Amino acid sequence: MTTETIKPSIWAFANPTRFMGFANKAIPILAIITFILLAVGLWMSLNAPEDYQQGYTVLIMFIHVPAAWLAMMSYSVMSISAIGTIVWRHPLADVSLRSAAPLGAMFTILALATGSLWGKPMWGTWWEWDARMTSVLVLLIIYLGLIALAKAFDEPSEAALPLAVMTLTGFAIIPIIKFSVDWWNTLHQPASVSRFDRPAMGPEFLYPLLIMALAYMAIFFTLHMMSMRNEVLSRRIRTLKMQVARKPKTGEA
Amino acid sequence: MFGEHASFIIPSYIISFIAILGMTVFIIAQHKSRKQELKRLEEAGIKRRAKHD
Repeated sequence: MTTETIKPSIWAFANPTRFMGFANKAIPILAIITFILLAVGLWMSLNAPEDYQQGYTVLIMFIHVPAAWLAMMSYSVMSISAIGTIVWRHPLADVSLRSAAPLGAMFTILALATGSLWGKPMWGTWWEWDARMTSVLVLLIIYLGLIALAKAFDEPSEAALPLAVMTLTGFAIIPIIKFSVDWWNTLHQPASVSRFDRPAMGPEFLYPLLIMALAYMAIFFTLHMMSMRNEVLSRRIRTLKMQVARKPKTGEA
Repeated sequence: MFGEHASFIIPSYIISFIAILGMTVFIIAQHKSRKQELKRLEEAGIKRRAKHD
């Protein structure tokens, strides 16, 4: 088959070189969108009224809930990337998976830390082994395990498949986190925003929360694209070094 | 400001700010160091064989 007979496909736009061109243009735009969303979200959050029950601690919700959502969203992005690796063996899918893992771990740590700081004044405890908190802690352990697994291989392409399989296996924790508040008795309340009827929250709290969630998503996508660019560069450096290592030295017999 | 629970609210925002800013700075620094290393290799005459790269 000659190259002329191959129809252009979406994959033509997903090769690392084209990705680098796209990323170099998209990152500044994403960064500006992130900055605007974050500025508006923070302004709305810090000007939200006191809650009649929680007082000003409700302000922690505007950074805790988006961090928890992003902890799960990052893992979902990794799982979609894992499918890309397993089904199509696409190198950019592996690049995406590896780049999302540290970001997901960061959002999970933030969800746990800010949750703890919210829990102490509201529930009287920094930590409780309830289903929601424990399942999020398990998610953090999964993230750390995957980061360690990715670094355990010298050759990134050798790690791609085991990493993708382990990522998909770990996806089981996402519905457990989501429905833990419905399946078990926990200190956490059931879903307040993603409900079939209307959100159980006043607009003075709902809008800042949604804007902060969008800001956190924008942070994720900006940093993810930047990390992917770094991973592609790192693979190029590795290829060059391998080229040098394989080249016979001048004057060698 | 923020009432009696300011000592919980302010650290929450500070921790989030430091983590996100720290991650951003780390990724930017990593990008710069990789670009420099790639440039150094290319200046040493080591170039990629790929046609379009």
